[in-house]
Amino acid sequence: MKSIEIIVSPQGEARIETRGYAGAACQDASRLLEAALGVRQSEQLTSAFFQQPVSVPSHLSAGGHTNPS
Amino acid sequence: MSHIVTIQTEVRCRESVTAACRRLQLPQPTEGTHRLFTNQATGLAVTLPAWRYPVVCELPTGTLRYDHYGGRWGDPRQLDRFLQGYAVERATLVARRSGHAVHEEPLSDGSIRLVVQMEGAA
Repeated sequence: MKSIEIIVSPQGEARIETRGYAGAACQDASRLLEAALGVRQSEQLTSAFFQQPVSVPSHLSAGGHTNPS
Repeated sequence: MSHIVTIQTEVRCRESVTAACRRLQLPQPTEGTHRLFTNQATGLAVTLPAWRYPVVCELPTGTLRYDHYGGRWGDPRQLDRFLQGYAVERATLVARRSGHAVHEEPLSDGSIRLVVQMEGAA
């Protein structure tokens, strides 16, 4: 499930975390909220950021494989 | 999580300022030129509890004008509380206008947690 968590501190600073995204799609998802709230102070990329979105090659899809034997 | 961004809040949205005042049970903000001791500031004025002068929000620049005389004319924590309320209202407004559900909960350290459900989003 994709979601964005925003923690607003008692001083009014916001920390935005994207969850459930792979790759750079998380940046697109949170960009609108970031721009609406103010000025970006820092950004930390996590391991999920560097994962490629999962896609199934056509030769592995159902009905698309051939038996090598 | 895939990335974490820290944002310094800027007050630029009139609607969210009004909503923050409503949330904190403050008087509704007033537009105009307001006195700050010997100076003046023009913008949207917010009246904080026990502050001698208002906080004036210059929305086009996101600048806040105020004079609490090092805390003697107003508790800075009231300003922090307003900024927190503004950020929560601003994020909620933007998320809901984009068609997303938002869940809000207070945390034990005084922070407020918002969860924006992005299911179905790209």
